[in-house]
Amino acid sequence: MSDSFGLISVVIFGYLAATLAVGLAAGRRASKSVQGYVAGDRDFGLLVMYFITGASVFSAFAFLGGPGWAYSRGAAAFYILSYGALGMAPWYALGPKAAALGRRFGFVTQAQLLTGRFPSRGLSALMAVLTLAAFVPYVTIQIRGAGIVIEAVTDGRIPLWAGGALAYGVVMLYVLASGVSAVGWTNTFQGVFMLAIAWTLGLYLPYKLYGGTGPMFEQILAARPELLALPGLDSAGEPWSWGAYSTSILASAIGFTMLPHLFMKAFTARDDRTIRRTVVLFPTFQLFLIPVFLIGFAGVLFPQAPDQPDFVLPFLILRTDLPALVVGLFCAGALSASMSTGDALLHAGASVVVEDGVQPFRKLSDKARRVLMRVLVVAVGGVAYGFALNENSSLVELLLASYGIVCQFMPSMLAAMYWRRATTAGVASGLIAGSATAVFFFLNPGLKPLGLHEGVLGLLVHVPVLLAVSRLGKPQDQAHVESFVRV
Amino acid sequence: MPYPVWRRVAWCFHLLFAAAVTWPGQALVNAPAPFVLGLPRQMAWVAAWIVGSLLVMWRLDAARGREGVRNPDVVGGASATARRGTDVG
Repeated sequence: MSDSFGLISVVIFGYLAATLAVGLAAGRRASKSVQGYVAGDRDFGLLVMYFITGASVFSAFAFLGGPGWAYSRGAAAFYILSYGALGMAPWYALGPKAAALGRRFGFVTQAQLLTGRFPSRGLSALMAVLTLAAFVPYVTIQIRGAGIVIEAVTDGRIPLWAGGALAYGVVMLYVLASGVSAVGWTNTFQGVFMLAIAWTLGLYLPYKLYGGTGPMFEQILAARPELLALPGLDSAGEPWSWGAYSTSILASAIGFTMLPHLFMKAFTARDDRTIRRTVVLFPTFQLFLIPVFLIGFAGVLFPQAPDQPDFVLPFLILRTDLPALVVGLFCAGALSASMSTGDALLHAGASVVVEDGVQPFRKLSDKARRVLMRVLVVAVGGVAYGFALNENSSLVELLLASYGIVCQFMPSMLAAMYWRRATTAGVASGLIAGSATAVFFFLNPGLKPLGLHEGVLGLLVHVPVLLAVSRLGKPQDQAHVESFVRV
Repeated sequence: MPYPVWRRVAWCFHLLFAAAVTWPGQALVNAPAPFVLGLPRQMAWVAAWIVGSLLVMWRLDAARGREGVRNPDVVGGASATARRGTDVG
C-alpha cells in the first residue's frame, strides 16, 4: 500500500498543481476591474461556456452522490438524470435576454437584474441572503466530496478534513487571483478530465464485476428487483413516492434554470450565439451522468458494503485491483468534479454578497469591491468547510435543500423580464412567502402533502402572492418597465 | 420548417419531456426489462428524451441561423444588442 500511496499522492498533487497553474494563468488576460473579476470582461467563448455550464451538473454531488443514490436507492437516482436538460432549455430564450439587459445596464449578478427592474435595497439584500443560504450547502457538498475521495484513496492517511482543505486551498488561490476567468478555464481543463474518467470507470466496473451492463442489471433484477422499479427507494430503504420523485425533478429543473452562479454566466458570454449554442450542446453533458450511475449499480451486489452510500465509488475503485495510477487518475477526476463546481460557487457567492448585499447600502470603489470579494471567497469557503466537517446528511439531500430555495427565484426573474404588471412589493412578498414555505417544509418533512418537494410547495404559495400583491399595487412607470420587457 | 415553427416544436417537446419523466408519464414506462443497450428501460427512456432535446434544440438553432433571425426577443429595435450590432445569431 505504501508504494501505491506514493504514486496516488503524486497523481493527486500533480493534478492540483496543473489546476492551479491553469487558474493563475487564466487571470492574466482579464482586466483588473469588478467586471473583469465577476464577468470575465464578457468575453467567454463556446468552449469555456460549454464546460462551465457542464461543471454545474458534474459536481461532487453527481460524481459521488449519484452513484450513492443508485447504490442505495436504485431507480430513484434517475431523477438526477432527468432534470438538467429540462432546466437548461429555457436558457435558449432567457440567457440572451439576461445578457442583453446586462450589457445595457451593466449588471453582473442576477439580483442586480431583479432590483434593476424592482428597485429595492431590501430585495437586493434578500436575494444576497437567499443566494448565500443556497450556496453554503452546495459548497459544503463539494468540499465533503473532495475530502471523501482523498480520504478513501489514501486509505485514511489524508483524512477528510485535510483532503478538503488541500483541494479547496488550491481553489481559493486561483479564485482569489483570477476570478471568473480562472473558474472558466479550470472548468474546461477539469471537464475533459472528469468525463474521460467517468466513461472509463462506468464501462469498466460493470464489465469487470459482471461481464457487462446487461448482465449486471439482469443480476440486480433477479436479486434486488425493488431497486429497478421507479420511483425507487427513500433514504430509509422504503418505497419513495411518485409525488416526491416527480416534484424533485420539477424543483431541480426550475432551480437549475435559476442557479445564481449559472445565471451570472449569461453576463460572461462573448455574444448571444455563444449562449444559445451552449444550451444546444448541454444535453451531451447530461448524458455523461449515465456511466456515473452504472458505477453505483455495480456496487449493489458487491460482497462488501461501504460505510456510507456516498463512498461507493472510491470503495469499488479500491477493491477491484486497479493499478495505483488509475486510482490516482480517478481521484483527480472526482476532485475535478468537486472543484469545478465549488470554484464557481465560491466566486459567485462572494460576488453576490458584495454586489447585492453591500454595494446597495454603502458605495464602495471598484478596488474596494474586488478586495472585499476576495475576503468573502475565504469567508464563504471557511463557513462551508466548517459544515463539511460536521455535516451528516447525504450529498444529494443537501443539494435538494438548496434547490428548494433557488427555485423561488424563478417567478421573480420571469416577472422582471416578462410581466409588465409586476411590482416591487409583489415580487418581494412572493419571494419571502415562497422561501419561508420552502424552509418550513424542509425543516418539517413529515408535514409535506404527498411528499411533494419543498421547492414546489414554496412555489404554490409564491406565485399567488406575487400575482395578488402586484395586482393590488400601483403599476410601475411604463418607460421603466418597457426598458426591461422589450429587450 | 421555419424558425417560429421550430420554436413551438421546442416548447411542446420539452413540455412532453417533463410529462414523460414524471408521474404519470414515467409510470407508464416502469418495467426495467427488456433492457435497451444493456440499460433498464426506464433509464433508456430518460436518455432518449435527452437525446431528443439535443436534436430539437440543434434543429431550432439551425433554423434560426438559416433564416438569419436577428433576435425575436427584441421588439422595435430597442435592445442594446441590436443597437450595438452585436452578434445575435
